[in-house]
Amino acid sequence: MTELPVVDTSSPPAEATLAARSHPDLILGEHGLCPGCGEPVALRLLLEVLQDLDVVSRAIGVVGHGCYGSFVQIMDVDVLQCLHGRAPSCATGIKRVRPGSVVFTLQGDGDMVNEGLQEVLHTAARGENVTCVLLNNGVFGDTGGQQTATTVLGQRTKTSLQGRDASTHGYPIAIADLVAALSGVAYVARGAVSTPAAVMHTKKLLRSAFEHQLAGEGFSLVEILTMCPTGWFVPAGDGPGYLEQSMEAEYPLGELALRSRS
Amino acid sequence: MEHQVIVSGIGGQGIQLLCKSLALAATRQGRYAMLAADYGGEMRGGPSQASVVIGDQPLRSLPILPSAGAAILMHHRFGAFAVERLRPDGLLVLNSSIVQPDAANYPGRVISVPVTALAQELGAIQAAGFVMLGAYTQITGIVSAEAIELAMRELLPPYRQQHAETNARAIGLGVRTARELAEVAS
Amino acid sequence: MAELQLLDGCTAATEAAIAAGCRFFAGYPMSPFTGLLESMSRRLPQAGGICINAESEIEGVNMALGAAAAGARAATGSCGQGIALMQEAIAEMALNETPVVVFNMARNQQDYFQCTRGGGWGDYRTITLAPKDVPELVEHTQRLFWLAERYRAPVILYGDPILAQTQVGVRIEPRDYGPLPSRDWILDGSGGGTGKSRQVWTWAMGKVTNPGPGPDGQWRAIAEKFDAVAQAEQQSESYLVDEAEIVIVAFGTAALFVTHVVDELRSEGIRAGVFRPITLWPFPGPALREATRNARMVLVYELNAGQMLDDVRQWAYDRDAIRFIGGVSIHTSGLTYGPLLDARVIRQRVLDAGAETGVTT
Repeated sequence: MTELPVVDTSSPPAEATLAARSHPDLILGEHGLCPGCGEPVALRLLLEVLQDLDVVSRAIGVVGHGCYGSFVQIMDVDVLQCLHGRAPSCATGIKRVRPGSVVFTLQGDGDMVNEGLQEVLHTAARGENVTCVLLNNGVFGDTGGQQTATTVLGQRTKTSLQGRDASTHGYPIAIADLVAALSGVAYVARGAVSTPAAVMHTKKLLRSAFEHQLAGEGFSLVEILTMCPTGWFVPAGDGPGYLEQSMEAEYPLGELALRSRS
Repeated sequence: MEHQVIVSGIGGQGIQLLCKSLALAATRQGRYAMLAADYGGEMRGGPSQASVVIGDQPLRSLPILPSAGAAILMHHRFGAFAVERLRPDGLLVLNSSIVQPDAANYPGRVISVPVTALAQELGAIQAAGFVMLGAYTQITGIVSAEAIELAMRELLPPYRQQHAETNARAIGLGVRTARELAEVAS
Repeated sequence: MAELQLLDGCTAATEAAIAAGCRFFAGYPMSPFTGLLESMSRRLPQAGGICINAESEIEGVNMALGAAAAGARAATGSCGQGIALMQEAIAEMALNETPVVVFNMARNQQDYFQCTRGGGWGDYRTITLAPKDVPELVEHTQRLFWLAERYRAPVILYGDPILAQTQVGVRIEPRDYGPLPSRDWILDGSGGGTGKSRQVWTWAMGKVTNPGPGPDGQWRAIAEKFDAVAQAEQQSESYLVDEAEIVIVAFGTAALFVTHVVDELRSEGIRAGVFRPITLWPFPGPALREATRNARMVLVYELNAGQMLDDVRQWAYDRDAIRFIGGVSIHTSGLTYGPLLDARVIRQRVLDAGAETGVTT
């Protein structure tokens, strides 16, 4: 009989510890979100883009309410944590009085498309030079998994237990399309963090958005489809696949055509 | 003693501009003034009333005067308030083109000036308020006619500047008319 | 000495705010606040500032919050109906310690509770100044910008249609109310990447590498801060209260009218006086107690169903001496005071109340 080596499970292997502890400079510590959550990936991309553009020391973030709200404790940039939905208004005030700053919002779909629908549309129409980042997982994750304005038809949530049904729950809102239809908008794009290729692509989209801000061309929005296996009631590993099947059909990836450019 | 005057008329008679000119004239002379306006929603025909207070110290008069030392009636329709608040030893100046002297029912000193008719003679009926203002400054001496004219010019919006000369003539006509009335009376 | 300018309350507030360093304003039109938004829109850009006609009151107050968090002297406003929409944000500013001046150019005196009790969440208070005339409104506006920064909190100016629309000769001069705390908390981006980046958050948990007090520590500290403010910032005016048999308590424009009536009554031999809270919060309770120590009657005159009345009941020397002579009184337009705001009416109410104890016949 072959002797099998005994694996020491008293602590994580060195490589895993190294991976967990190494993080970009701008991330100060581990996040506390669920295994398989896409939001920390999006955060990392955002901060890397700020570093790549060398604007970290003039970046000011406005973070809404959701699971990602805890990021205000681990992101090494100046941040305002604001009221649910109101981030684009706060961002407006910040950018108008500090036009040399690089201002972004970080909001979930419940924050931006439910509570804050008018804020994001008005801020876009005013052409404010800020970049709004939407983490769209189609569910209110932080409060336990209720339906939001971006929940896709058929998606089961705690307030649409049989799956979202148009006749009962109405239709999801594609906020990126609404924003793209407004004058004053410089850039709208949709990415995902479900595959390595998608992650790399999303980083490029974020970079483009901030470049438009730096050029003073108006409002930019990057919607990032993120996995929420907990809110979707799927195993962590199934998150990416589920995202592709359920959300990407409703929210196609890529840069959106803009009314302001047509 | 603060100079208090309530001015009453109807929308379209230039009541607000008249009162603002008076208040501004005093302010430009470094005196304390208050202008409290009270007008209905309609632009023409509804009530238009304001009170002006002028003094040499920070004012103590109320923005809704319980009583006043003077009143100007450009029209009788909504004038009851102004007349009722006029003190017995006060002065009532009437636009006799429209308001009958006994229609005002005031037992004290009344001076009638036909400002609408005078303004019509100038070919500018809308300047009746400035005829009245000219007469009022002559009667009371509260501010000079020159100060009124300067305030009038300052207040005219750019799209009404063409009325400045007419308004200035109206002020002068009011001053002269009041002087003649006083000479006749004495 | 600055020259006299004939300004209504809205324009005067604008000039006073600019003199006090205000460089950001955002609001939504609603009578009688609209004049303030319009004059800010005209004048702030001339002074190098920004004025935004926000698409809603909620957006306006949150824009002001952002601007203030980024270090600008910022303000917003509305009338009580619009301030109602801003309640959440006002609480937020109190609890994340953002200084903003909120102008309530109200339609009447029915917003006393809104200003002094607040409709937001949590343990917070809002310093509220209630000027009696336009010159005082100028002074209060400038002081409020200082108070907001001194205490890192939202503060309120309680105006009304009379103040908003009456034009009065005023002088606007810069005023210095004293030293202000450090502004090392403002968000300007410079903290990014240093390990010491900044955070403005009601929960104040800080960064994992630099923890903050957390909600318990933060909200207890803020409650203690407002206790200290309550002790330090009470303001009131007592007029002829020594040996007054009747003390009338009134605030704002109402107090102006009451003072006129008191002067009249005094000239007729009736010993009346006025106690005027200048800060609605912190309510000058101890001063009221002293002012009413010898009064046989304490008459409360306010244009509402009895709101300041609660505070008078708490502090008057003799609760049994209190009579309410105010009331709800609204103009047919709904937008301003009704017939109760009149010196003759007030005089009669004082005489009628005084007849009960024989102070007046």
